[in-house]
Amino acid sequence: MADVIDSSATNSSAIRNSASGGTIAGHSTGGPHWTPLQEIDARDLGSQTNDLLDELQPDVSVAAIPLQIRAEIHSSGQNVALRRWPAVEVESQHLPKSPGVMPSWKPTRPKIATYGLQFPEGMSLIAKAAADGKSDHSDQSKAGKSDPPPIEILPGYEPPTLASLVDGLVEEPKPKQVTRIKPPDDALAIEDRLFYLLQPPLQSWLAGQELIMPFEPFPYQYEGIGWLFSKSSALLADEMGLGKTMQTITAIRLLVRSGQVRRVLLVCPKPLLPNWQREFRTWAEELPFVVVEGDGERRKLTWTIPGVPVLIANYESVVRDFAAFGEGEFPKFDLIVLDEAQRIKNRTSRTAETARALPRRRSWALTGTPIENRPEELGALYEFLEVVPPNATPDLRQLQSLAKQFILRRTKNLVMKDMPPRLDRDAYLELLPAQKSAYEMAENEGVVQLNNLGDSITVQHVFELVLRLKQITNFDPLTGESAKLDRLEADMEEIAASGGKAILFSQWTKVIDWLAKPMEKYGALIYHGGVPNKQREPILARFKEDPDAHILLMSYGTGAVGLNLQFAGYVFLFDRWWNPAIEDQAINRAHRIGCKSQVIVTRFISKDTIEERIDKVLTEKRELFAAILGDGDDTNVTLSMNASEIFGLFDLKARHGKGTRVIGPKPVV
Amino acid sequence: MSNGNHDQFRLGFLTAVEDAERGYVGGLLITNRFGRPLEFQCTAPVKPNRTQQILYGPTLKPYVLSELIGRTLLEKVGVKPHLILLESLDLLDLRSVTSTPVASLVLAPDASRPALQEQGDGKEVATATVLPNSLRLGNEVVVFHSTHDEDRTEIEKFAKLVPVDADLREPFERVREALAETVRLSAARPA
Repeated sequence: MADVIDSSATNSSAIRNSASGGTIAGHSTGGPHWTPLQEIDARDLGSQTNDLLDELQPDVSVAAIPLQIRAEIHSSGQNVALRRWPAVEVESQHLPKSPGVMPSWKPTRPKIATYGLQFPEGMSLIAKAAADGKSDHSDQSKAGKSDPPPIEILPGYEPPTLASLVDGLVEEPKPKQVTRIKPPDDALAIEDRLFYLLQPPLQSWLAGQELIMPFEPFPYQYEGIGWLFSKSSALLADEMGLGKTMQTITAIRLLVRSGQVRRVLLVCPKPLLPNWQREFRTWAEELPFVVVEGDGERRKLTWTIPGVPVLIANYESVVRDFAAFGEGEFPKFDLIVLDEAQRIKNRTSRTAETARALPRRRSWALTGTPIENRPEELGALYEFLEVVPPNATPDLRQLQSLAKQFILRRTKNLVMKDMPPRLDRDAYLELLPAQKSAYEMAENEGVVQLNNLGDSITVQHVFELVLRLKQITNFDPLTGESAKLDRLEADMEEIAASGGKAILFSQWTKVIDWLAKPMEKYGALIYHGGVPNKQREPILARFKEDPDAHILLMSYGTGAVGLNLQFAGYVFLFDRWWNPAIEDQAINRAHRIGCKSQVIVTRFISKDTIEERIDKVLTEKRELFAAILGDGDDTNVTLSMNASEIFGLFDLKARHGKGTRVIGPKPVV
Repeated sequence: MSNGNHDQFRLGFLTAVEDAERGYVGGLLITNRFGRPLEFQCTAPVKPNRTQQILYGPTLKPYVLSELIGRTLLEKVGVKPHLILLESLDLLDLRSVTSTPVASLVLAPDASRPALQEQGDGKEVATATVLPNSLRLGNEVVVFHSTHDEDRTEIEKFAKLVPVDADLREPFERVREALAETVRLSAARPA
């Protein structure tokens, strides 16, 4: 069969040989591989092939294709070589009797290098709810039922949303927000960075599981808490009313809980001590604190009392007691927080020097007005934060660069979506006849006197005249006539009828006392520097709780800072302060986080008087201040009125080149 | 863990990330029942060699993740977890090398929350609970190893200690982020 296939692939003559029972000519004869093809008639070839196929068909199923190729070997004289058999040599190979050793592989468990980090043990503090034997699975709902602080100014509010402010709008479920703590830029070691990265999101940390939060913070507050948590040096400079206190307390709480701090000192102005105590009770009920107060011996004992994570002291105590301790004996703190840190803006003051000398690991400063007058004030704060060398005077560029790293400032405009609006309405009032004549007389006489002073005139002289005129715009000292009071009574009638509450600010305690009588029918309460400290908290509590107390009369100095009066929907500025930042602080007692409705701010401005002129200057300054702070915290604008501006009120010129000296009175704190 | 001291209950979150050049890096985060971190351990990158790739074939990944990375981390960790959670079924074989109960979240990390369907009585149940060897933990459905049925009782006991709204996927994000940071820092560090 092989022959047949072979032959069919070569030539047709071979096929014929095979079919007749012979062998391939070449193999049997030893002749040439190729025999010359005999001439065959094409028809014969076709018929023979068919015969062949007929015989084969039972055995094979392939059809042979007749090839009609003629192979002719050219006679070259070497054809004999083609008949020769190729030489074949045989070589024997010795195979191995058994297989040799091959590479083997067994699974082994390689040793793997690891890196580990254990988190410090936090202080185990027991929340009141848990201590009472309540399950903490529903802490959120029970938080409000825990022991109320003795005086609670914060109402049990829910954070307002835009939707909740508009009737008929159904609030859509908010997308879940996650605030992660970022490692600070100066954390380079891997363990430091992992410590922050592996902390849970603040929302779940503070979601009432392990730490009870009485109220849900706003997104920007979460951001502030996370920022403070990760900072050794921080200046939280949020605008007033955005919740610096709550952010600070919560960050302290998290630091204590995560074992980062064990002893914290909070320093604040004396009038704010009750406020901080109340806020600590509200926002960190499980965190024990002690106020440094009493006589020297008791204070000394308090400073060194062990096991208390938070001490609260006022600036005066700190300065006095630090000096009383011997060198190196003052207790060391893991964190020192300065509230209203503008108190140390003068770096050579004793307060500033003491603050810088306090032994500590972390330094935080809180202020709503990081720059009240000059950028150098920021330098003093940086020195406390230990981010500039002692006595350094960073230029504006350095201040900006440091601000990016160490200052967090948010304005209400940035977070306004979380807050109801503040509506400013200026009330321009005509003086009443008696007021007007008294005013004109005083002004004319005053200017004449000033001119008579000649070169001996000082800003103080001008300032005195301004004060006298401002008092007349409030009320005529002889007749008691007052355009402002008339307007106030009209407004208060409406406010009281609707159950609203108002705060009124004046520069003078005398004016406040004078207003008390006509405002008696609206349940007026008085809160100024003349009111003893112990009576102040009950007054605030009554203002909040007594439905008949519709107005609180306050002085800028005592009432402007730190108080939470967000249940008041109206603010009256009976007369104007010199510095718009102080006025803003006053307004922000009511217009702050937690206020449920808009706050209407009314400024009384007497037409064609010194007040209108001051207002013009202050408005311009406010616009400038807003423009600069909007882009950052770099400003060298002088917010208080300077001597040149005071002289300008009466078309007088500043003498002796003291045109930029600040003469505005300092608020009494 | 004594029954009376729930705060001692610890969860372990074990996962690994793959770096194209360096191989697998595994991380184990131990937290308390509220997700607060107690300890973190991570491995150096583990890259299987060619022989391992050939010989282990499709079982290579479970081998590297469970036996090499998972087991090493569990041996190294000082604060021992009471329950180890995984986010991939690939690691569930870890149960064969440890005596600690192991459970894996059911859905892929990028999938949405477990689908909840309302029953006739208004109660929500996870549809995934119909899976064998699965039960509810926090806001997730977890699966345990089929050969360790005794884990069901243990996990059910722990389930009571985990707040029902606890997000059990979130800690894995932290671990991945920490692993990325360690890889980044070790890559930046001169050899």
